[in-house]
Amino acid sequence: MSMFDTQGQAVSQSGRKPNALKKLARLNTALCHQEPDRVPISDFFWGSFTKRWQQELGLPPDANPYYHYDLDWIVTVPNMDPWIRPFQTLKETAEEVVVKTGFGSIMHKHFEFPMPEMRGWETDSFDKLEHARFDDPADRRRFFAGGDNQIAGVGDGFQRNTPPWIDTVKSLRPDFPVYGSIIEVSECLTRLIGQENAMLWMGEEPERMGAVINRIGEFYYQMARAEMEAAQGLLDGFVIWGDVAYKKCTFMSPQYWREYFKPWVAKITSLAHAKGLPVIYHGCGNVKAIFQDYIDMKVDAYNPLEAKAGMDVLELRRQYGHGIGFCGNSDIQVWETGDHEAIRREVLRKLNAAKGGGYIFQSDHSVSSAVSGRTYDYIVKLVRDFGTYPITLGDFDERI
Amino acid sequence: MQDLKALHEAIISGNAKTAKAVTEQALAAGIPPLTLVQEHMMPAMSEVGRRFECNEYFVPELLLSARAMKSALELIRPLLAAGGAKPTTRVALGTVKGDLHDIGKNLVGAMLEGGGYEVIDLGVNVTPEQFVAAIREKGANVVAMSALLTTTMPAMRTTMDALQQAGVRQQVKVLVGGAPITQKFADEIGADGYSESAAGAVAAAKRAVGA
Repeated sequence: MSMFDTQGQAVSQSGRKPNALKKLARLNTALCHQEPDRVPISDFFWGSFTKRWQQELGLPPDANPYYHYDLDWIVTVPNMDPWIRPFQTLKETAEEVVVKTGFGSIMHKHFEFPMPEMRGWETDSFDKLEHARFDDPADRRRFFAGGDNQIAGVGDGFQRNTPPWIDTVKSLRPDFPVYGSIIEVSECLTRLIGQENAMLWMGEEPERMGAVINRIGEFYYQMARAEMEAAQGLLDGFVIWGDVAYKKCTFMSPQYWREYFKPWVAKITSLAHAKGLPVIYHGCGNVKAIFQDYIDMKVDAYNPLEAKAGMDVLELRRQYGHGIGFCGNSDIQVWETGDHEAIRREVLRKLNAAKGGGYIFQSDHSVSSAVSGRTYDYIVKLVRDFGTYPITLGDFDERI
Repeated sequence: MQDLKALHEAIISGNAKTAKAVTEQALAAGIPPLTLVQEHMMPAMSEVGRRFECNEYFVPELLLSARAMKSALELIRPLLAAGGAKPTTRVALGTVKGDLHDIGKNLVGAMLEGGGYEVIDLGVNVTPEQFVAAIREKGANVVAMSALLTTTMPAMRTTMDALQQAGVRQQVKVLVGGAPITQKFADEIGADGYSESAAGAVAAAKRAVGA
């Protein structure tokens, strides 16, 4: 069980249920900065949270938060590995597994721990990185064949033989607005060579590394194009996964990011828009130094807006108005306390950002196993009770 | 007299090759190793930290400078040890149990080394028992814990409890940091220091050990 393994329950893959269309209208209205019937809500759930939630709420083992709460959107991931190949198992016990993936990274997954560890990389020198030749970004297996892939397979859970992406899209589509997704260069480099090498080589030889970034940027741009074509109109939007910041600022200088990373986010965003797909960019950390850039690129909404990195959706709304939508920012550390009063304050305060539309309610990253099932239940109820337009938040009303 | 400005500059600009070459020349010219460390290398890393804190430097520049510092330190450490000099502060550094992230921890390690501390890197997924063992067996007098995930923050509290139960809490100062960690949390678990960034870890360590 992991964050991206939700399969649709629809037996018939033809047509969409009226409820799915209603949710799509809600989502798109919000992304157009108009007020829908109520604030859209969804999230990304750790597999360990889902298990806990099932147990605590006495739900069956196949219960799924997206269906149970009728959440408003869901994102899917095709095979984005540079090299399409099965995981090579290097070690496997009941407690842990070590595999080499299609990124060439040696991944250690301890089943008790929430996140995996990258132990090594096949691409372990600048020279190898420069000469690496990836499989075709448009290879049909990325979208139409099942198999192992690192993004879906090694994360909060461990999953082999992920079903064909297109089947997942089709099975979810009758019930949800479904987004496709692509990683941007930063996410690829982390898996391909490790974050420390990526940073070191950027510092050592910025232009030479810039050329690599541009080559990988083109690779994922072409993959995004192929994904959109493979979907044949079945997608409702597109997520770009990128992580270029930590708690304090961007990892690399904003200038370097603008020169080499930003152009590819801009190109993918334009490509999605040309296909009529809104874009939600996911990037952790404190991105205040480059936030205006996302508005300039016409990204429709920014996710996850990590509260622990100092991001605050109300401050951002006051600063940038409705120039961009927001998706997330509800402080998971408050959720983890289980303190209903504190959670109520947190949720209702953040709902101010939904005034005038432009806000999708989510946590500020993902729902961890430290959040109780009852707490999440309470949060959804709060959002549904107070997130109906026109929004009235009583003591928590803030002028935006 | 050797122009040691070059060493200072090499560390600030992250040029490991030059840092190593200048250090070799300086040692050959008879400059005391401790002088190199205290008067040239540590001030250089302090400047790197300052630049990082005010967003003139970013992670790539920090890593390069740390590498340059390390390459010079590798030449100097054996000489210091041979001369009988013992580091005043020995830091047992690790990412806590259940957490397998290490870039933040590595940056903190690099900055602490640059600040003149000896760092015992215990790696990731470090159990409370491993921290206790580093104090007892390796003489660590500072414990520095890192966590990236909110779900692994409680392991810091567990480690604090383990230090107490093992009777070694009074022998060490405890520093904490990582994306979800705040000063408030550090205070709650009774840590002696907190830093929100790698560069700030040196100042936090200095405050904690009172040096």
